[in-house]
Amino acid sequence: MAASGRRLRGDPESGFTMDETVAEYIRRTVLKIPRREIMEMLTIWDFLSKTQLQTINVHHTKERISQEVVTLCEENCAGIKQAAILDMIYNHTYPNKKVWTVYQMTRVAGEETDSLNLADFKYKFKRSLQTALKNVTINFREYEDNALWIRIAWGTQYTKPNQYKATYIVYHLQTPYVFISSLRSNLPLLCQALVHASNYHDIHEMELRSRCLDSLKDIVFKRYSQTFQTYHPRPLQERNVAPEKVDPRIIQENKREKERIQRVNQEVFGNGLQPKIEFAQYKLETMFKGEPEMDILTEKEPFRCVVKFSSPHLLEALKSLAPAGMADAPLSPLLTCIPQKARNYFKIKERKDILSASCLGS
Amino acid sequence: MEEATAYLRDGVLSHLEKLEAHARTLALKQEETQQQQEKLARLRARVQELRLQRDELQTKVNLQQVGLIRQERGTGSNVEPIQAVEARGKALLKWEVENVKSMLQAFHLTGISGKLTKQGVCFCISTAYERTYLDSYYLDLLIQQPVQIRHHSVPIFIPLEEIAKKYLQTDIKRFLAMLSDHLNAYAGRKYQADQLQEHFSAFLEGTLQRNLLQNVLLFNYDVETESKTFPFRAKLVYGDVTRCLPTEAIITCKAGDVSASLLEKTAAHSNLFCHTALHKAFDSFKRAAERLEQTA
Repeated sequence: MAASGRRLRGDPESGFTMDETVAEYIRRTVLKIPRREIMEMLTIWDFLSKTQLQTINVHHTKERISQEVVTLCEENCAGIKQAAILDMIYNHTYPNKKVWTVYQMTRVAGEETDSLNLADFKYKFKRSLQTALKNVTINFREYEDNALWIRIAWGTQYTKPNQYKATYIVYHLQTPYVFISSLRSNLPLLCQALVHASNYHDIHEMELRSRCLDSLKDIVFKRYSQTFQTYHPRPLQERNVAPEKVDPRIIQENKREKERIQRVNQEVFGNGLQPKIEFAQYKLETMFKGEPEMDILTEKEPFRCVVKFSSPHLLEALKSLAPAGMADAPLSPLLTCIPQKARNYFKIKERKDILSASCLGS
Repeated sequence: MEEATAYLRDGVLSHLEKLEAHARTLALKQEETQQQQEKLARLRARVQELRLQRDELQTKVNLQQVGLIRQERGTGSNVEPIQAVEARGKALLKWEVENVKSMLQAFHLTGISGKLTKQGVCFCISTAYERTYLDSYYLDLLIQQPVQIRHHSVPIFIPLEEIAKKYLQTDIKRFLAMLSDHLNAYAGRKYQADQLQEHFSAFLEGTLQRNLLQNVLLFNYDVETESKTFPFRAKLVYGDVTRCLPTEAIITCKAGDVSASLLEKTAAHSNLFCHTALHKAFDSFKRAAERLEQTA
């Protein structure tokens, strides 16, 4: 970062001196924002007044813009809370810059579900964390789709919170699911706070990770299109497919097979767009099955390997495999069960017997 | 005559011979022509016959197409043309299919319908509120001991697991009824809130806040009385999640000092919201405002 352009921080009128770290943090956050989004995000932030915003010229270099913003923040006496909120707005707009992991909270059998109050949750959560760890910055922000975003900057007993490595948590109040990203340490502490604040009994990590937060929500909230056997198929939205200009002299030899593949694909994947995940990982702990003469592995040890599928949009890619002729339809259930089982990390052990499925979770 | 004299010179017998031969050839010729004529006559007759037959068959074909033959032959005939049988069969099948379709449609409209699958049954719960059909939710069950839910499209905030724990193994009817109640109530509350946002946004100040289960609603609205506009704040709590009306409606007036008449109004509104559907309550506000405008 260029050290030039730094001047003495401080508002001579009110005598307020903004913390260097806060100033730097705000500056770096503004630098991250793409030029065309800067004004909008600053408006949503609602910390600088309209007149102040008008003084910012978006056509300057970003370095200069960030400096201007910091100067204006100084006039308004910005603290770490405001800086954190700006950071939250940035991450809410660009959630796909982080990898999100899904956690599920569970109740003990027989416990009644209480209707939880958002204010109660925030209070309990904050108190739980702050009693355990004094040096921690916690910020909340609620959004219209009932999502509560929590930003936590962690410190230790002797160090101040590191704002650059904050953890993000997204929680929808009447669901048992929590989406967490950028958590490097302090997992037990966080879990304890979540469980305590939301009146659940336990929390565990689901084997489900992706960069697309909305798709993760679609999978666990079951908002993606599933196919069910019914006498009344839901009315399909008319897709504007231009009728293929089929030359009558061309005869499709494999027309039946193509139709069968389409039908099977539709039964498995449904009609709508698939949730977006980037990876599927299968840890194999199965025995090597080779020619008896080859005798590569004489000891009866499982052959351990990891198979990883990756794609910008894995499920859509799997859906297009059979129609493109690259795989037989129906696809292996290990691939197609991903949204239904709400997991994309699997451990496959040896089959216990011929009839049972070989896919066991961990 | 020169011939005769020539023949007389040769001899009478030879003359007679020659005459005989001549007569014979003539007779043969005559016979030939007679035969040919007979043949011709026969062929002509044959042609006539065939023509008659052709005409007969033609009329027969025509009549059959029209169906008059059966009338001619009377009711005693058992031979029906194959086309008519096929047509009747098709019509019958079509009627049966229509019948089954309308029965399935009727089941679907009752709200709970199902279809047998390979390993169990797939139930479809359709929700509706006051003459409007809303979303459908599906449950795929495995029929075995114990009954399991294979997969479903019920939203996460409906307490499906709890209801299943209580009733799924013992009383499927009750399980489906309870689930249907929850889903229908949720759909009804959501519909009311959606209607409020869509049609009565002029009355609302700011946004309508609602939670996932649609059982806590918060909104600000304007009330015009004594020729002034007062900001009211409403908090509707639907304590019973199987009902579409709130159990508690807390109305407060955000103005500084609240007169007795305003307090009365808040109480009246609170009562109204607890007993009338949300969009209907606002509809009554709208009509009241229109009436005021007309009289003013």
